Amino acid sequence: MTPRLSLLLIAALALSGCSQLGAKPWQRGTLARADMQLDPYPVQSHLDDHIYFSKEAASGGRGFGGGGCGCN
Amino acid sequence: MQLNDAQSPNALRLRLAAATLGLLGVTTARPAAADDEPRKWTFDNGLLFYKESGGRVQVIEPVVNAAVDLGNDRTLSAGLVLDSLTGATPNGAAPAATPQTFSSPSGRGKTYTTAPGATPLDNTFHDTRFAADLGYRFALTPTGKLGFGLHGSKEYDFTSVGANTQYALDLNQKNSTLNAGLSFEYDQVDPVGHAPIPLTMMVNAIKTGGASKSKNVKDGLIGITQIIDPQSLLQFNYSLSLSNGYETDPYKILSVVDSNAQPQYYVYEKRPDSRTRHAFYAEYKRFVFNRDVADLSYRYFIDSWGVRAHTVDLSYRWNFSNNKYLEPTGRFYTQTAADFYHVALFTGEDSSVHDASADPRLGAFNAVTGGLKYGQVLGNGNELSLRVEYYKQFSKVTDVPVQAATALSQFNLAPDLSAINLSVGYRFNW
Repeated sequence: MTPRLSLLLIAALALSGCSQLGAKPWQRGTLARADMQLDPYPVQSHLDDHIYFSKEAASGGRGFGGGGCGCN
Repeated sequence: MQLNDAQSPNALRLRLAAATLGLLGVTTARPAAADDEPRKWTFDNGLLFYKESGGRVQVIEPVVNAAVDLGNDRTLSAGLVLDSLTGATPNGAAPAATPQTFSSPSGRGKTYTTAPGATPLDNTFHDTRFAADLGYRFALTPTGKLGFGLHGSKEYDFTSVGANTQYALDLNQKNSTLNAGLSFEYDQVDPVGHAPIPLTMMVNAIKTGGASKSKNVKDGLIGITQIIDPQSLLQFNYSLSLSNGYETDPYKILSVVDSNAQPQYYVYEKRPDSRTRHAFYAEYKRFVFNRDVADLSYRYFIDSWGVRAHTVDLSYRWNFSNNKYLEPTGRFYTQTAADFYHVALFTGEDSSVHDASADPRLGAFNAVTGGLKYGQVLGNGNELSLRVEYYKQFSKVTDVPVQAATALSQFNLAPDLSAINLSVGYRFNW
């Protein structure tokens, strides 16, 4: 199987999978919890990103690649 | 504007105040019972203390963030950060068998000396950084939220200003959310004692490369958040960052050594004048045992400087009581060296290379972080958290000049780095 065909197959499976995914409005109690948010402590994440940005070569992904400091 | 007698200045002032409050959403109708009124201000504050072993960098960083809910899905936020850095940082030179004396970046005859075999550290490093940001987010349509942000920061030798915008669109009955963002940043560095001419010999810290250097950074981000089932969700992001301009660290140097690893002289480093970064990010979050939250994320990073990096982050929030939790966290990181990273240059190599840096942050290493966080929701609804983390970099020795490899092997060319990271968070509503 060519890589392009495998990619197509994966995309098709992912798309058909999406229709089964999700939660009904009355099933949202858990997902609405503060600790179930993707970034429940943005201040902490900001401090962590700042340290890692100044000590490592990689950045970005969770948010913008970052900068705003002369530390790297 | 003409005032007639019927509109006294006081009456007009009242009407203007009411109109202003109306614009801000403050007068939005609320239930009559005051106790039911939602709190509108949220203050999210933090204090970080970071300390590296061996007298290296120490950081104290307080953060204050305020967000106000203006009603009708509109939020205004502002943040302030103060960063105080002291300590010693590697200047890029390799260890040597004899004492090495360096001019401090400011020149003015100040020097520091490194003992034989030790990693040269510039102990004149200290800085205070002040940063501020402002954000506004509102519902553009019933399913789309638009946000704008401004940020700026100032250090003794570095100024940064930037603006960004983000858009989030809910689809599929809010089971999928598409995110997109753009950011622009302008950075200016005014190096202490001016910028050096890259890859020229360091002589008494005389630098003639100009007083001020700048770069532009353009960032883009697209992502999707998908609810998997009532207990879990998944996020995928791709971020692209295009940086152009002065990427070099004006304070970093490289040793130019002979076959006995004896430094002949030192040259200022030089990095390419552009850098393109790509990051692919995935995060999975799941509610487990009907009580706890498990979070797993992975990032693949690749840039035009030849750096490839993998990052895995894991956390488990154990909600051991209704209002208290313990959260162990673990992180693993690995990066390859940048194409132009060199431990040192061999005599003459400095005139043939296009770019060169011995900055350990551009070298190859693995890093691990382990931490534990304790959080508690207090009686008044405010939330306090304490976290302690230990971070360690395990360096790999790569890119040693072949002609001096045997002689250099007697030294620890890439020492490990360890650090303690303590942080306190306090969130309250007002």
